[in-house]
Order: sequence, then structure tokens, then C-alpha cells
Amino acid sequence: MVAIIDYGMGNVASVQKSLNFLNVKSVITSEHSVIKDSSIILLPGVGSFAQGMENLNERNLVNLLTEEVMIKQKPFLGICLGMQLIMESGNEPYECKGLGWIEGEVKKFELLDLNIPHMGWNNIQVLNNKYYNNLENSDFYFIHSYHVKTTNDQDIAATVNYGFDVVASVQKDNIFATQFHPEKSQAAGLSLLKTFFDLNA
Amino acid sequence: MLKVRIIPILTFNGFGLVKTKKFSNPRMVGNPVQSARVYNNRGVDELVFIDIFATSQKRKINLKLVADVIKECYMPVAIGGGIETIQDINDLLKIGADKVIIKTKALTDIDFIKEAVAFFGSQCISIAVDAFKTPEGYKIYNKLAIDKSLEDYVQELIDCKVGEFVLVSVDNDGMMNGFDTELINSVEKMTNIPIIAVGGGGNMEHYNELFSKTNIQAVGSASIFHFTQFTPLDIKNELKSINIPVRI
Repeated sequence: MVAIIDYGMGNVASVQKSLNFLNVKSVITSEHSVIKDSSIILLPGVGSFAQGMENLNERNLVNLLTEEVMIKQKPFLGICLGMQLIMESGNEPYECKGLGWIEGEVKKFELLDLNIPHMGWNNIQVLNNKYYNNLENSDFYFIHSYHVKTTNDQDIAATVNYGFDVVASVQKDNIFATQFHPEKSQAAGLSLLKTFFDLNA
Repeated sequence: MLKVRIIPILTFNGFGLVKTKKFSNPRMVGNPVQSARVYNNRGVDELVFIDIFATSQKRKINLKLVADVIKECYMPVAIGGGIETIQDINDLLKIGADKVIIKTKALTDIDFIKEAVAFFGSQCISIAVDAFKTPEGYKIYNKLAIDKSLEDYVQELIDCKVGEFVLVSVDNDGMMNGFDTELINSVEKMTNIPIIAVGGGGNMEHYNELFSKTNIQAVGSASIFHFTQFTPLDIKNELKSINIPVRI
């Protein structure tokens, strides 16, 4: 059972719809006992970093999720804000501590000639193909004004070019996350999710 | 490379889909859920759904129907109509909307937009800006007798850090005579916030011209998909032929 973490940061319905499409059993929850019993943890999310951390704290989820992912080593999938929150710190709208599972930070885009947010379909370059079989150069749907900067290059699973090579996905041990929205990326997104859930079944 | 977005727009009257001309004479054009299903099958980049009478008829958007529309979509969906509170936005995001489109409330209560951006982040707050041409320049179309220039209004919204503009030419709405590139460029040069240009697409030449004469990243259309044989893919093929990046 996949626990889709419900912490009041939007977007949960679309994620579950994709999992239903793939016949992956999931539950939208913030209940500690349900999360403990789950086999995979999925952290979605849309909104600001600080609000996301505040909402996780309000539900006493920070220690619980860290225990499940970092100690019990459950497979973890983070999407969009869910990828940003696993970094050490964020800046939206003010500097704020993150879950800190991956070394690095989340910074605002500073691009003079390009639109911000980075919004729309953009193709990725795959650096770690554990989950990206046949998806090199595929288009995924991005919508973000802040981007992840990892301390260690080997944690980057894919990049996307938007003024520079922006981190599009991270992967380390049991942790996998995407800045883009696989659940909104039609065939390419569903294919990525299928690979992730097949390999972690 | 970021691809330009070709976005079908579904405008709803509370019962079915309608299409207006210059914001008048709504004509019935079909069923929203069925249309969403067709567009999903065609792999469109994004979908916009707006209940264009929610505010004037003083009702909330039908969440059950919106949920049914979103259920058909494995691509991003933006929803608009009658949004006035943080709760309204939350309700829409919770059922799977990726962005909300706010119009009247932005015009009457700019502080609400600041609040919404602070709460949800810029990226999911899109603002519909309906502009029409006057001898004194472009103004914001509304039924509240608010006299506001396009430039002043866009600047206020830029200062609020909104995520996107849905820029509608009221004069060109439903006319299928081409886009108002002057209008689009006048907003585009003010900001690096993404803009969806709306109003006037009727044939491939129009889209060719739009993307040749502006730096726009997205176009929203309705009439061409309702009343001609052209599909979003035809537009993409046309743009590809002039080296505009598209997702096919």
C-alpha cells in the first residue's frame, strides 16, 4: 500500500488518479498508523516551502516520515514541492529548514531573459536511468519558481535545461523525487511511475 | 527546451459548454466531460475550464462537475469561475486542479491575490486579464464600471507576483480573425511572468503570425476547435514548420 501524504498542500487527487490507472493501491492519509503500515511513501505537494514544512510540523509528520524513509528505508517518491522539502533548506518565501534527507538547498530562479515560473513541457537529460528507461529526452510538465541545488552531483537523476541545467529529479538509495509532475505528464509520466512502482513492488 | 503550449479553453455556462463572440451571444457547443476526454486522448499540453457566468450569477463553480472534468485529464488543468476565497482555491486544488484562474476578485480586491500567492505559491495563481481597445489605449473590460488601464492593472498584478496571465482580447473573442499581437506585446514587454494569449485564432496563419510577431509561450483557443476541423496538433505542426519548439 502506498501512503500518499495528505498535509494540506494540494494535488493529492491527481496523484492518486495516476496510481489508480496503474492499478497501484494507495491511500491518501496523514494518520501515523497508516503511514507506518504502508510499504511506499509518496509526498506530493504544491505551494510554498515554508508552508509545506509548517503543515508537516502541525501534523507531527517530520520525525515520523524521517523514521520511515531514512531509518526503515522505505521507498520514497517526492513530487514537485515533495522533492524540494527533502532538501536541507528552502527560501520560499523566507529561509527555512527542510527535511534534510538529501544534501542541498532550494533557491529561487534568477533568470533575466526567461519566464518565471518555469511552466510547461520541457525535455529532460537522464543522468541515472534506474527509473528512466527509454525516457531520455522525453517531455515532462514543469511548474516551479524555485529549484533544487544538490551538494552532491551523484544525487541528480535528471536535469532540464532552463537557462542552465536545472535539477529535474534526484535519486539516492531508497529516495526518488521529481521536480516535474509525472501525474500530469501523460504517457511519459505514467511510464515513469509504472517503472518506479514495478521496481519497488 | 521549453515547448510552447497550445491550450484548448472550455467555457461553461452552468449547464453546458458555450462559446461567445466579443463576450456576447453564448452559443452551446457541447458537453464538458466529453470534451475533456477528447482533448486528453489527443494529448493536449494543458486544458482550461472556466465557468464564465459563475460570478455574475452569484454562484460557486460546480465542484462535482469540475472533478469529473479533471478525472479525464492526465495533463495540467486550470480552473476558473467565481473564485473569491482561499477556501474556493483549496477546494479546486484538492480535486486536482493545477492552477486556478481568478478574474473579478482580482479586479475588486488585489489584497486577496497577495494573500492567495503567499498561501499557495505563485505558480498556481493565474489571473484572467480581459482587455479591450479604446481611443485612450487598452482598458480592462468589466461589468462593475471600474475604469482601469491595462498597463496599471498588469503592473499591480506583477507586484503581487502572480504565476500567469490569461490575456484575453475582448475585441477578438470568437471572431477568428487573428490575434491582437499589439495587445500581447504590450503586456509581454512588461513582465517575465508567463502569458497565455487568447482571442482570435481561426486558421493556421493566425498562429504562425502570433508566434512570429510575439515572444509568447502559450496560446489558448476555443472557437477554432469547436467550429473548424483544425486540432491542437495541426497548430503544432504549423509552428514546428517555422521552428517554434512544440511537443508532438
